[in-house]
Amino acid sequence: MLETKGLCKNFGALEVAREVNFRLERGARHALIGPNGAGKTTFINLLTGVLPPSRGSVLLEGEDVTLLAQARRVKRGIARTFQINQLFRGLTVQENVCIAVSERLGVGGSMLRAAGRRADVLDEAARLIDMLKLGQDADRRIIELPYGRQRLVEIALALGLQPRVLLLDEPAAGIPSAESHILLDAIATLPKDIAVLIIEHDMDLVFRFAERITVLVSGAIFAEGTPAEIAANREVRSVYLGSALDG
Amino acid sequence: MIAATELARRHRLRWWEALPWIASLACFFAFPNYLAFGTQVLITILFALSLDLVLGYAGIVTLGHAAFFGAGAYTVGMMAMHWGWNEPISGLIAAALVAGAIGLASGLVLLRTHGLALLMLTLCTMALLEQAANMGAAWTGGFDGMPGLSFSKILGLFGFDVLYYRSQYLYALAVLFACFAIVRTLVYSSFGQSLTGIRENLLRMHAVGAPVRVRQVLAYTVSAALAGVAGALFTQANGYVNLAVLSLERSAGVMIVLILGGYGRLYGAFVGAIAYMLLEHVLAKAYPTAWQLGLGITLIVVALFARNGVIGIFDSLRRRIERSAR
Amino acid sequence: MVLFIVSVGLSVTMGLMGFVNLAHGGFAMLGGYAIVLSMKHWGLPFPAALAFGFFAVAAVSVVLERLLYAPLYRATELDQVLLTIGLVFTMIATLTLSVGPETQTVELPEWLRGQTDLGFIEYRTYSLALIVAGTALMIALWFGFERTRIGARIRAAVDNRRMAQSMGVDVGRLFTLTFALGSGLAAIGGGLGAEILGLDPQYPFRYLAYFLIVVAVGGLGRISGVFFAAILIGVLDFVLKIYFPKGGTLFIYALTLILLLARPHGLFGKKGTS
Ligand SMILES: Nc1ncnc2c1ncn2[C@@H]1O[C@H](COP(=O)(O)OP(=O)(O)OP(=O)(O)O)[C@@H](O)[C@H]1O
Ligand SMILES: [Mg+2]
Repeated sequence: MLETKGLCKNFGALEVAREVNFRLERGARHALIGPNGAGKTTFINLLTGVLPPSRGSVLLEGEDVTLLAQARRVKRGIARTFQINQLFRGLTVQENVCIAVSERLGVGGSMLRAAGRRADVLDEAARLIDMLKLGQDADRRIIELPYGRQRLVEIALALGLQPRVLLLDEPAAGIPSAESHILLDAIATLPKDIAVLIIEHDMDLVFRFAERITVLVSGAIFAEGTPAEIAANREVRSVYLGSALDG
Repeated sequence: MIAATELARRHRLRWWEALPWIASLACFFAFPNYLAFGTQVLITILFALSLDLVLGYAGIVTLGHAAFFGAGAYTVGMMAMHWGWNEPISGLIAAALVAGAIGLASGLVLLRTHGLALLMLTLCTMALLEQAANMGAAWTGGFDGMPGLSFSKILGLFGFDVLYYRSQYLYALAVLFACFAIVRTLVYSSFGQSLTGIRENLLRMHAVGAPVRVRQVLAYTVSAALAGVAGALFTQANGYVNLAVLSLERSAGVMIVLILGGYGRLYGAFVGAIAYMLLEHVLAKAYPTAWQLGLGITLIVVALFARNGVIGIFDSLRRRIERSAR
Repeated sequence: MVLFIVSVGLSVTMGLMGFVNLAHGGFAMLGGYAIVLSMKHWGLPFPAALAFGFFAVAAVSVVLERLLYAPLYRATELDQVLLTIGLVFTMIATLTLSVGPETQTVELPEWLRGQTDLGFIEYRTYSLALIVAGTALMIALWFGFERTRIGARIRAAVDNRRMAQSMGVDVGRLFTLTFALGSGLAAIGGGLGAEILGLDPQYPFRYLAYFLIVVAVGGLGRISGVFFAAILIGVLDFVLKIYFPKGGTLFIYALTLILLLARPHGLFGKKGTS
C-alpha cells in the first residue's frame, strides 16, 4: 500500500534515513521501533511530505507521490499524528475535530453556511469525540485539558480524516496507562483494510498491537519480522530491547 | 455525556448584538452636532474590522494594512477628479475591487513568507504605494493630495457633502452594517473556522490537508477589499484625500485600535475604535503629549498583561464567573 | 554610514535576539538627546559625550529589557510589535515633556568641521570621520561576534536556547548584555547622525522604515551584511535622488520588496535564521 524505495535523508552531515526500503501492507498493524534519535519521526515526516527526501521515493499504491505536497497526500489518504501534540490550542475540542472533518468533506473553504449548521460535520465530529471518550470536554478549549486528554484529541483529528494509511507517532506517550485502552479501542474499531503504522516505545503495547515490527537504528532498517521473530532476535535484544523484554 | 453545543449555537444572533446598532442610531438623534466625528468613528470601525479578519482570525501580522485603505481612498478620489465619476455607491464598489485586486496580487506573493519577513514586506508594499502616489502627482496630486472633491447624491436622493453630516453618518452606518454582515458570515463559516485553525497551528493545518495558502490569500483579499471600502468612505466623507491615508501611522493606528478593543472577536473593532477615538478626540487636542504618554503606557501594559483587549478582559471575567457557578 | 551605525544595533537586537524591536529608533533618539544635551549643559567634548550616550542608553535599556522585553521573548510578533510601539510613544512623550518638541542641533568640535583635502578630492571632514568610525565599528563587531567566545555564546543561545542553557550559559544575562550593546550602538548612531538626520521627538517613527529595511536587506544578525546593505542603500538613495529626484525612494522600496521575496533572509543572510 505505502512503500519507500531507497529513501535517504541527511541533515547536513547527519544521516537520519539510509536507503530505507519499507512496505506497509493494506490492513497492516505494523510497529516501528528503535532507540531515541533513530530517525522514526523523520521517517514519518518523509512519508507525509513534511520533509523532502534527499534521495529515493515514496509510493502510494504503486504511484510515486514523492513530489506531492503534504495536503495532496492527505487527500489521498495518508494521515498522521504528532509525537508532540500539534493542536489548535485556543479552540475547543469540538472545533478541533470539526476542522479536520470539514477538510475531509471538502467544505473547509465554504464561506456562507455557518460551521455550526453543518449537521454532517457536527455529527461525525460528535461520533469521534464519543469514541475517544472526550464528550465531557467537547466544549472546553485544548489549553484547559490535561495532556493525556489532549493526546486523545490528537488521535481524533487523524481519525477524522478517514485515512487509508494511518501513521501514529508515539500515540500513547503522555496518556496515563489507565486511559491507554481508549486509544487501542479506537484503533480496533477502524476498518480492517486501513494500514496502521505505530511508533511506540512501550513494548507491551507494541506486542499487543503489532502483527509486524520493523526496527530502525541510526536511520537504517536493522531488522524486520513478526513480533515473535523480533523478540527472538538476539541482536535486536542487545541493541535495543534489552531489559524491556527480559524484565 | 454532555453533548457539545457551543459551536452549534455560536453563529446565532444574540440579543446584545443589536446594541451597537441601536446605540449608533441613538447617537444620530442624541448628538446631531457630532455626526461628522461619528462618521469618522464608523469608518475606523470598518477599517479595524477588515484588519480583524486577517490579524485576529487568520493570524497574519501586517504593518501595511493602510495600503488598502489608501488604495480605496485614492480610487474614489481619482475617479471623481479625473473622470467626474462621483456617484458614491459605485465608487465604493470600484474601491473594493481595486483594493481587493491589490490585496490578491500582493497576497499571492507576500504570503509565501511569514514572521519578520512578512512584516517587512507588508510595510514595503505600503511604502511603495505611498511613494507611487507621491510621484504620480498628475494623477494623485502628489504630496498635497486631492482637496475639494465632491460627490453626487446617494441613490440620487440624499445630499452628500462635507456639509451634509446627517446623510453622511447614516450612509457610513449602512455601509458598515453591510460589511459587518459579510465579515460575520465569513467568520462563523467553515472558512472562518479554518482561518482560526491556520492562526492556531499551521503545522496541523497542513496535516489535515487544508490548502493553507489559498485560504490565507482569500482572507487577505476580502480584508483588503473591505479596507478599500473604508478608505473610499473616508474620501467621500471628507471630500479630500492625501498621502496620510497611506502612512505607517495609519497602519499602526488601526492595529492599536483593534488590539485595544480585542482582536479575533468581531466586536473588538467597535469597542476599540470608539474608545480610542473618543479619548483621542478629548485628550489629543488639549494634552497631546499626555495622550501619547498614556497611549504608550497602555500599549505596553496590553502587550504584557492583557493580550485580548477590553473585550478579552470581559471574556475572562465571564468565564471565571461561569466556572465558579458550575 | 549613519544608517549603518544605527541599523547595526538593530541587527544586533532584532537579528541576534529574534525580537521585533520597533523601539530601536527610540533608543537612537534617546542617545542623540543624551549626547547633545550633555555637550550643551555640561560642556562635555564630543567623544566623551558619545561615550556618555552609549553608556547612559545601555543602562536604560538594561532596565527596560529586564522589565519589559524579557517576558516577551517567547511571545508572538504581535505582542512584541505592540510593546515596542508603546515604548516609542512613551519615549517621545517623555522627551517632549522634559526637553521640548523643538529640533536639537549638535555643536561639532572644530576639528570635525570644514573640508579635508584628500589629495584628489575635497570632502567634508565629518563625513570622512563617519566613514572611518563606521568601518572601525564594523570590524570590531564582526570580530567580537564571529571570533570571540562571548560572540559564540550569543549565537549559540540564539540558535538553541535550551541547549545553551544546559551547557551552563546564562542566557538571560547574555541577552541583557546583547540588548544593551545594541541599544548603545543605536545611541551612538543617534548622536553621530544628529547632524545629518536631525534630532527631534518624531525621529523614531520617521526613520523606522529605513532602519528596518537596512536590517532586512542586510540579513538579520549579520554585521557585515548590514554594513554593505547600509552602503548599498545609502548610495542608491543618493544616486537615484540625483537622477530621479522624485522616484528614488520608490525604487528602494521596490528593490527591497523583490529582494525579500527572493531571499527572505536578506541579501547576505544565511538560511535558517528567521
Ligand atoms: N529538522 C532537523 N534538523 C536537523 N536535525 C534534525 C531535524 N529533525 C531531527 N533531527 C535529528 O535527526 C535525528 C533523528 O530524529 P527523529 O526525531 O527522527 O528521531 P526519533 O527516532 O523520532 O527519536 P525519538 O524516539 O526521540 O522520538 C535526531 O538526532 C535529531 O536531532
Ligand atoms: Mg520521534
